[in-house]
Amino acid sequence: MEGNFTLLFLVFFPMVGGILSYIIGRFNKRARDYFAILITLMEFIVIIGFFPYITNNLETSVTWVDFAGLGLEFTLDGFRFIYGIITIFMWLGTTIFSVEYFKSYRNRNRYYLFMLITLGATLGVLFSVDFITTFIMFEIMSFASYVMVIHDEKVKSIKSADTYIAVSLIGGMVMLIGIMLIQHHLGTTHFLEISQVMEDFNGDIRSIYTAAILMMVGFGSKAGMFPIHIWLPNAHPSAPAPASALLSGILTKTGIFGAAVISSNLFLYDEVWGKGIMVFGLITMFIGAFFALFSIDIKRILAYSSVSQIGFILVGLAMEGILGEHNALAIRGALLHMVNHSLIKLVLFMAAGVVYMNLHDLNLNKIRGFGRGKPLFLFIFSMGGLSLIGMPFWSGFISKTLLHESIVEHIWMFTEYNMEVRFFQFAEGLFMLTGGLTTAYMIKLFVVLFIDKNPDTQDVNDSFNGRYMTRLSTVGLIVPAILLFVLGTFPSIMDSIGKLGQEFFFGHDPSHEVHYFSWINVKGAVISISIGIIVYFLVIRNFLMEGNGDDDLEYINPWPKNLNLEEGIYKPILSDILPNIGGFIANNLGNLVERIAYVELGIFKVVDNLYTRHLSIHDEEKEPNKLLRLLEAIMPNTMASSLLQFTIGLVAILLLVILL
Amino acid sequence: MKGNILLLVPIIFPIIIGLVIKEHDIRKYGIRKIHRLTASMPIINMFILIGLFMMENHSLGVIGLNNILSIRLYTDEITKFFTILTTFIWILVTFYSFEYMSDEKNVKSFYMFLSISYGLVLGLGFAGNMFTYYLFYEFMTLFTFPLVIHSKTKDSMKAGIKYLAYSFSGAALVLIGIIFTYYHGVDTEFRSGGILNPDIINNNITLIIYLLTFIGFGSKAGMYPLHAWLPNAHPVAPAPASGILSGIITKAGVLGIIRFTFYVYGANTIRGSWVQTTILILSIFTIFMGSMLAFRTKELKKRLAFSSVSQVSYILFGIALLSREGFIGALSHMTFHAILKNILFLGAGAIIYKADKYYTHELKGIGKQMPITMWTFTIASLALIGIPPLSGFISKWYLGLGGLGFTNYTLGVVGVVTLIVSALLTGGYLIPIFVDAFFPGQDYNYNIRISYEPTKFMTIPLIILTVVVVLLGIFPNFLIVLFNNIALSIL
Repeated sequence: MEGNFTLLFLVFFPMVGGILSYIIGRFNKRARDYFAILITLMEFIVIIGFFPYITNNLETSVTWVDFAGLGLEFTLDGFRFIYGIITIFMWLGTTIFSVEYFKSYRNRNRYYLFMLITLGATLGVLFSVDFITTFIMFEIMSFASYVMVIHDEKVKSIKSADTYIAVSLIGGMVMLIGIMLIQHHLGTTHFLEISQVMEDFNGDIRSIYTAAILMMVGFGSKAGMFPIHIWLPNAHPSAPAPASALLSGILTKTGIFGAAVISSNLFLYDEVWGKGIMVFGLITMFIGAFFALFSIDIKRILAYSSVSQIGFILVGLAMEGILGEHNALAIRGALLHMVNHSLIKLVLFMAAGVVYMNLHDLNLNKIRGFGRGKPLFLFIFSMGGLSLIGMPFWSGFISKTLLHESIVEHIWMFTEYNMEVRFFQFAEGLFMLTGGLTTAYMIKLFVVLFIDKNPDTQDVNDSFNGRYMTRLSTVGLIVPAILLFVLGTFPSIMDSIGKLGQEFFFGHDPSHEVHYFSWINVKGAVISISIGIIVYFLVIRNFLMEGNGDDDLEYINPWPKNLNLEEGIYKPILSDILPNIGGFIANNLGNLVERIAYVELGIFKVVDNLYTRHLSIHDEEKEPNKLLRLLEAIMPNTMASSLLQFTIGLVAILLLVILL
Repeated sequence: MKGNILLLVPIIFPIIIGLVIKEHDIRKYGIRKIHRLTASMPIINMFILIGLFMMENHSLGVIGLNNILSIRLYTDEITKFFTILTTFIWILVTFYSFEYMSDEKNVKSFYMFLSISYGLVLGLGFAGNMFTYYLFYEFMTLFTFPLVIHSKTKDSMKAGIKYLAYSFSGAALVLIGIIFTYYHGVDTEFRSGGILNPDIINNNITLIIYLLTFIGFGSKAGMYPLHAWLPNAHPVAPAPASGILSGIITKAGVLGIIRFTFYVYGANTIRGSWVQTTILILSIFTIFMGSMLAFRTKELKKRLAFSSVSQVSYILFGIALLSREGFIGALSHMTFHAILKNILFLGAGAIIYKADKYYTHELKGIGKQMPITMWTFTIASLALIGIPPLSGFISKWYLGLGGLGFTNYTLGVVGVVTLIVSALLTGGYLIPIFVDAFFPGQDYNYNIRISYEPTKFMTIPLIILTVVVVLLGIFPNFLIVLFNNIALSIL
């Protein structure tokens, strides 16, 4: 072990702390809750302590060579520092909120234990500079977070947790092949060494692409990339709200982290890779927003929204490769959108948690009108919503503008009009449209919560006014909500965050200053939001709502229930077709020898008969000498087997003689 | 007798204890004395072994009938590794069996055969030539047979006979190899790099004989095509015996293959030949088949037995690669699987013993009733799947690298993919067990919770095994260095 041990502390302290909190929780539940907050707070203080290192560009890394035989290596640079802070900040927020949220839950000890282990492992993934380290931490994270997903133990959550673990397991193992291939072809798994080797790599690039695609399966499944996003819209809604916030805000970003490493270290300025990611990014982006429109479950909408936002980030990463050396805007856009999305989802999922905590329901038709007469809740929710739709002066606007700019700039760079330009123009259009859909589903949520009146239980909703969350939870929610506005109003803060983090992606400063609030940039947001408003009134109001008899509109989801990738393709293939084929092969080939020996040659029948005769004699005896009986049981069979052995030996020797 | 006579002590001692147990009168002196004897024997043996290994490597010729049929014992790195691993597991399994066997009849014969088998397994580790190995191997089959048929039900009897038939058939194939190498070897003792006469290398007959021997030893290791006894025999035995059979006795076949491949034939004889391809294909197929059948089996112990079929073939795959990485992967997987499979079988035994549940779908909520057992079970399952930083990961990593580095790239990749598919299937058949156990669902009634947790005799061995396997997974470096040294000396 050498280097800065504080980094190891950051990773392993929460794990140890988790075990401690479990022990404490056995005696005193309240003490355990505050102990967990204390742990995250300590982590926060420790990572803030690294600030001077980062600003002065000091080397901070640690290696633990012995760990798992292959070694762990962590480092802390600008990007990791930013993301470390955000991770711990989110954990701090949700842990504070958990005190109230979990009040009436069972098995809370278990939750706290695995939540803290997940924190350590997530930091481990983000700090790793070696694919093996990444993989080790990634797997710990997957399995620990599984417990967070299944925590409710309802039928639905067990089902979605099953999907989650299946996706994690498959993704992880496929990723392992990729890492093995990297080790085999490049001789190293260390990020920086990979960069060096790839600089003058002249082997077969296709095998590197294969490896990268395999790794992308693992990272993409965690990030929620199409077509392996299937766990996300199920798992996020069924997990407890603080856990959903973490899953959506941070765990998806570990997948993005891996994708970023592949795009920056393995395929720096690689156009082919960039275009591949672009296609998947665009699909992910659109599909997420599209299904969010349909959903009638508040957390499911947010989960699909996460899928969509991950698509935006992937588009940024793709543009990073496509733009080559001029990728400054794309890098900053992707990076800042990661940051924004984490914070936004923290706010929104916890807001959804507030709803669930009070009403124990997530269905839009049941929670209608919950927000009426709750100004604080209105404030928190709108901060998140406005930021998500990219409203100028909120943080989402900054990163979306950067991403948009990067696509537009690329279109400008073409000198002639060809298919490629058309593709990027299409991409730009899709980008704007998806932004519009984002606006539409957020308006839908806003109307449900704050404008609609609940036809049946509005008095119940109103009865919560003023006492729907404790002061502690309020702190946990309102701080990130305000942060979203501050970041958006003062883009220079965002710029410096981008500057700090871009080195991780090998990015440079942009060639010109971006004037966020110039008309051309604001125009993009205005168009997007206008599309959203149109979509809301034309589509949602008309097609996704329907009268329920007593002249009242109800939200419906007209999408067929089984028409999705999971039910339609993956489940039949993975749980029926493949096991049946495999089972058929294994059964038949496996029994081949036995069948020949048993049926065709009758060898074992002889032995069997010998034994049955023997048993029938002894069954009648009342108390035989057991040892004797045993030996007797052995003897005839031994003889039979010896006979068999002798025969086989004879045949073999004959064979030998013939062959020789 | 030439050489260090002390080498006989660790082998003879358990056998003598076994005979003493046979003469013990339970009615007169009670069962406790047997317990004391069986428990202290492997512990004392551990000290003897460590003492022996502190000295230099020895050899001992016991009886020289003639040049060919001589019994020789010797020690090298593999002996040390194998005997220490065996003894460690044996101690814990013995303690576990005290509680488990308290309900069973005919305990005396169980302990007697358990002790004698232990001596014989050690003998395998110490064997210095193929004849000695064969001798111990055959006797071990005979003396583990009563462990299989202990319950004396019809099923167990049938399974036991199947076990004998397959083992002896396998042994017959081994015998061919032994006879062949005695005629065509320049020497009879094990020597790293092989003892074959250079004239007959590159001869098809030589290779055929090797294949036969490999399949013969493979019968003990549960390799296709002679695997079919294993999923019958392992589950019917009492849980401690299942653990021993799956964890250690299968490794006797593996050890035989290691000895025969690297110490008799020499890796160079086989490298690049069609035989290597054949045994690789056989082991790859077994890996897949075992996992697949385990995935489709509902009975817990049978599922674990099928899992052994698959997992032991990981080891054979690594050996068959004949490369440094493959060998390291094989031996580390041998270590980890021996411990992990014991944890799993002992855990399954605890469930059967306390909760009387045999099928995987009956285990809802059992984690709340026997937390310690299920925690160890869970950790062992995750390790077996190969979730880092637990132990299965490191062996899979080396096996994977070995596979990718194999000269026939396609076959190597197929092997690696099979390893991963098998890992997924392993996840598929182990994860639901502990998920059901710990997350019984919302409807689970917490009020009528009965504790099924077994006594300390059972839980402490489980905990020790788990702690050791976790530590080995996190700090495997000394093992890797050891295996690396062995690999360098024989490749």
